[in-house]
Amino acid sequence: MNDSAAIGAQAESSLPGLLGIADGIIARIESVMLAVGVLLMAGNTIANVVGRFVFMKSIYFSEELNSILIVLITFAGISYAARHGRHIRMSAIFDNLPVPARRATMVLIAFVTAIFMFGLCWYAASYVMTLAGRGRVLPALQIPVWWMYAWVPMGFFMTSLQYALTGFKNLISRDVWLSTLVPEGYEEETGHG
Amino acid sequence: MALSLFAIMIVLLLIGFPMMIPLIAAAFAGFYALFGGLGQIETMVQQMLAGIRPASLIAVPMFILAADIMTRGQSAGRLIDMVMSFVGHVRGGLAVSTAAACTMFGAVSGSTQATVVAVGTPLRPRMLKAGYKDSFILALIVNASDIAFLIPPSIGMIIYGVVSGTSIAELFIAGIGPGLLILVVFAAYSVIYAIRNDVPTEPRASWRERSVAVYRALWPLGFPAIIVGGIYGGVFSPTEAAAVCVLYALLLELVVFRSIGIADVYAIAKSTGLITAVVFILVGAGSAFSWVISFAQIPQQILTAVGIAEMGPIGVLFVISIAFFIACMFVDPIVVILVLVPIFAPVVASTGLDPVLVGVIITLQVAIGSATPPFGCDIFTAIAVFKRPYWEVVRGSPPFFAMLLGVSVALIFFPQIALFLRDLAFR
Amino acid sequence: AEWRYAFEEALHEVQGVFATKFKEYIEEHSDHTVTLFPFGTLGESTDIMEQTQAGILQFVDQSPGFTGALIPEAQVFFVPYLLPQDEDQLFEFFRTSKAINEMFPELYARQGLELLTMFPEGEVCLTTQQPVMTPADLNEVKFRVMTNPLLVAAYDVWGATPTPLPWGEVYGALQTGIIQGQENPGFFLESTKIYEVTNVITCLGHNNFTTAVMANKDFFDALAAQDQELIRSAIRHAFDYILDYQRGLHEESLAKIKQAKPDMVINILTEEQRQPFMEAAAEVEATFIEMTGDSGRAILDQIKADLAAVR
Ligand code: NA
Ligand code: NA
Repeated sequence: MNDSAAIGAQAESSLPGLLGIADGIIARIESVMLAVGVLLMAGNTIANVVGRFVFMKSIYFSEELNSILIVLITFAGISYAARHGRHIRMSAIFDNLPVPARRATMVLIAFVTAIFMFGLCWYAASYVMTLAGRGRVLPALQIPVWWMYAWVPMGFFMTSLQYALTGFKNLISRDVWLSTLVPEGYEEETGHG
Repeated sequence: MALSLFAIMIVLLLIGFPMMIPLIAAAFAGFYALFGGLGQIETMVQQMLAGIRPASLIAVPMFILAADIMTRGQSAGRLIDMVMSFVGHVRGGLAVSTAAACTMFGAVSGSTQATVVAVGTPLRPRMLKAGYKDSFILALIVNASDIAFLIPPSIGMIIYGVVSGTSIAELFIAGIGPGLLILVVFAAYSVIYAIRNDVPTEPRASWRERSVAVYRALWPLGFPAIIVGGIYGGVFSPTEAAAVCVLYALLLELVVFRSIGIADVYAIAKSTGLITAVVFILVGAGSAFSWVISFAQIPQQILTAVGIAEMGPIGVLFVISIAFFIACMFVDPIVVILVLVPIFAPVVASTGLDPVLVGVIITLQVAIGSATPPFGCDIFTAIAVFKRPYWEVVRGSPPFFAMLLGVSVALIFFPQIALFLRDLAFR
Repeated sequence: AEWRYAFEEALHEVQGVFATKFKEYIEEHSDHTVTLFPFGTLGESTDIMEQTQAGILQFVDQSPGFTGALIPEAQVFFVPYLLPQDEDQLFEFFRTSKAINEMFPELYARQGLELLTMFPEGEVCLTTQQPVMTPADLNEVKFRVMTNPLLVAAYDVWGATPTPLPWGEVYGALQTGIIQGQENPGFFLESTKIYEVTNVITCLGHNNFTTAVMANKDFFDALAAQDQELIRSAIRHAFDYILDYQRGLHEESLAKIKQAKPDMVINILTEEQRQPFMEAAAEVEATFIEMTGDSGRAILDQIKADLAAVR
């Protein structure tokens, strides 16, 4: 990769050095999966309409492809959302606490969330392996079902990592951080993600 | 067990955990309790994936994408300018138009979430500019999208029809009356709200200005034409209509108006993916939780305790309304219909209630539930799309709940609201 | 003990009636209880299958159309015109077939499942907007089929445009005209109200919807011999009941449809009219063998031998 890509990647991560670059590359991959996944979904659905209406031929695997893409988008997205502090929460009580209490609560929230995400990563991996052992295939595409879920444990793992890092960041910082990249009170113009 | 699961959920929610954690933790605790350990957590993962897998869910990202392209480009602005040229001088006119747009869009798309996005994305900024408070706007959009469930096609009614063996065609017709009634009540409230809060009006547009506005909106008027014509004309399903709208939006904004570039499309797609993920992980976690409730037969236990068998028809209708309303506050609406309808079937039959009326009442409660805190996919969608805090999205809702509650009670005492059109068509 | 049993249909449909009979027998003849989970309450067909394999559910009813993704040979029941159209022959076949009672259990066992029984749910008929008397009438008709390669192949050779669609969207799609046809057993056409949005029912005798009931194998093997026998008796009891229940059910369902919608056209094709459909569909058998290899061929040959024995 060239220098500018490395710098771009660095901006997506709060980790120092090589770790930061690796993390930044993963963030890049996630964002590409999000955008390309959504565009592919649109293309696939439109192609099916055109095929059926114009050429009298349905794309028989269209639905399965959309399901695969939806899983991909969701599990690339939960980690990306964790980086950018975009997960939905109800913060009415939290917002009215004094700063030290907010910071302590955020540490608790981040670590507990990280533990749950890691647990789900573990069981998702074991579920994928169970599926691989049974050999069920997708009826239209005739490819193994576990392929469509292979990204799931990875998505949980990256999310877990992001929350763990957020916990540490709150421990060592005097401000409150909603994610590794987003300090509290910062209105990210995330229309562009 | 039910009580401790709900307690876990509420406590974690109030502490300020990301919303997926209360749901995941409650589902997790449920699995732990049911199977005496962690041996079956794989099935919890299975149900989370089952929740996000249905291909028909892709209407949500597709409408988010189309609406965002239209709003960043010029299509949405031109459409709204046209509407404003006709109603801008009327007090509350914009709010009434928003409610009507939610009804129309919801009617054809059949998805409350897609309605929140597609109508809310372009209209919310305009309503803010016109002087409405955000809490009112968000509540109006979220609650008016409920109507999508009542006006055909409605997936909730189809499922009710199949499970209860009721004519789906009759259900569809019977939903129209209550759907329109809600629209009228919301419209009236919007006008009252605008007068009481002194929302300014625009000067009345001349017919010349109006014709210019209509002319400017000719291309974007293709959207309603595509959606309504395409779906009712049998060219594509509501889900596919969403993707075709994306194509049309790209064509208009990239080629005709040249208002956005390829890089914008990429950025919009990425933001769409992010919003989708944030909402769908909650849908997945919610379906794992629903599984626990269904597997543990919790609704059956509660209803036996209530003693529904001894009630008269009005009592039964009230219990049904309350049960579906409360269940849909926490659990996925489709699962609620599948689980609860068979449980109520014997008592509905023995009291001689019209199953079509029961179906409409249930559909209404299901719709209200998905816009009601603490958990509701419409609320999640609004938070993710409009980037407003949870509290702000739900704060303006109480008057709307009161109105919806009023319609629910009216429906119980005056079934003709639903059955009038049905009787006209079928009896 | 408390046993759990999930199936793919509503409580009042054929699988639900079978499950209810099974439950009644078990609870009457033992201290065990059976909790029933109808369609959708624990997830889709593949979900309840996985839950049975995981041992959360003890019993599951899954149709070979779905099981085909896990056990390809099970798709043999989608080979058109394989099963006889005569009720007595059909029932006798399910009772005595070596393929069903000896060969399939081995295939299911490899997936951790004890195959308890297979039974027919009723003749599959087509619903369309225009009459279908010859394969040419299906030309370019957008026809909803289950996502199953053999079904897609059959409708392909008949000239239709096979269109996969989730079941939840079928009613709306028929109403607006995205699709013009779909197929299902008679009782299902009636119970799901699908006739409300179609004009013509055509029965061409190409298939009888088959389903299978199985138990988690580890659970079953660990039971005392007495409980295993109890389960087998309950299955036999429900099996006999369901065959009896089905006599005339198909005709009854069609009559109910006719009563609810008097202008519904119901065409039962004659032996002669079915001939062109049969001839065209002959190549689907080759598709099945292509997909499943020697193991599929062995099952198919055995089924044919079993059928010859009951004819
Ligand atoms: Na609708
Ligand atoms: Na809710």
